[in-house]
Amino acid sequence: MDRETLQAAVCQLDSSIRPLEENADRAAVVVEAAALPAILRRLRDEPEFSFAQLLDHVAVDWIDRGQFELVYHLYSFKHKHFLFVSVFVPREDPRVPTVCRLYPVAEWQEREVYDLFGVLYEDHPDLRRLFLEDDWIGFPLRKDYQDDFMLDRPR
Amino acid sequence: MGIVTDKLPGALEKVPGGNVLVTRFDEIINWARANSLWPLTFGTSCCAIEMLMATGGPRHDMARFGAEVARPSPRQADLLILAGTIVKRMAPRLRTLYEQMAEPRYVIATGACTISGGPFIYHSYTTVRGADEIIPVDVYVPGCPPRPEQLFHGLLTLQKMIKEGETIREPGVRRKPVISALPEGVTMEDIQGEMKELLVKENVVDVHQAVDKLKWPSGTNDGS
Repeated sequence: MDRETLQAAVCQLDSSIRPLEENADRAAVVVEAAALPAILRRLRDEPEFSFAQLLDHVAVDWIDRGQFELVYHLYSFKHKHFLFVSVFVPREDPRVPTVCRLYPVAEWQEREVYDLFGVLYEDHPDLRRLFLEDDWIGFPLRKDYQDDFMLDRPR
Repeated sequence: MGIVTDKLPGALEKVPGGNVLVTRFDEIINWARANSLWPLTFGTSCCAIEMLMATGGPRHDMARFGAEVARPSPRQADLLILAGTIVKRMAPRLRTLYEQMAEPRYVIATGACTISGGPFIYHSYTTVRGADEIIPVDVYVPGCPPRPEQLFHGLLTLQKMIKEGETIREPGVRRKPVISALPEGVTMEDIQGEMKELLVKENVVDVHQAVDKLKWPSGTNDGS
């Protein structure tokens, strides 16, 4: 399936799925946080899509909008197509259900996003820091992160 | 022994009966140290591709300078080539590795990140701003990343420092670190030519000049 057909077909799955407004070079959809595991399960299991691999899981800090965008990069070995699934969560209370029951690799990917952005994954079996020290305070990839070690560029 | 007596006439004299007479330990020890620098395999990011992989390969061939025996254990290494960004979490491990190396140990810092933090100096929560905040550095090789020729320039600088500056009378005395930057207007071809020249010079010893250099100061030798 090419980009437009795939995006339209994924949007047909559920009424809560809508295409991403930004221009993406691959098919991209936005889903609600509560519906995420169910939709990813359908995308993984239905033979039309068969997204067997979660390539990557990243987060974007949209500080102006007060939102985190969580992006799940899916890939299908069978059909050789890609899909971005985005979830928007509020910055004040970033909570999203875990998908590591569907994709075991998500366990560490979610730990990484928790480590650097502080997104809380509900029902995650082992939500610890992955890269930073266990006693690190704060989440350094948030746009408003500051600590004593950081240097500002002199004007 | 043949190599030593050929290369360092005056420091090591053959005496009848097959024995040798050692006159200057510093010369021999420094010569041996400078020509058998064993680097520790320590690469933390992109510089390691240039510094250890490309220079160790046959095209650039670090073996010409006696520094190709990359050791995976710090106990067997005496040169630490820092290749890549040092982050806060790596810093204690780097310090441990340095302390595990046997004396004498030398450190070459290659690339912008190990010298100053490089592109990550501002707004970074984790990059250490210069490896010299953690361990003493002997030679800095700037670049992002430096070319293999630049590492050789740094390596030859270090060899020169060892040959000239070290003495067993004052062990553990650290020299001032040097920057082995390429001067302006010097091209890679110049460096390659210089390296070729040096290799030839290393293999051809002017015996008379060496004897003059190593001669005892006049007046101390009663025989003449």
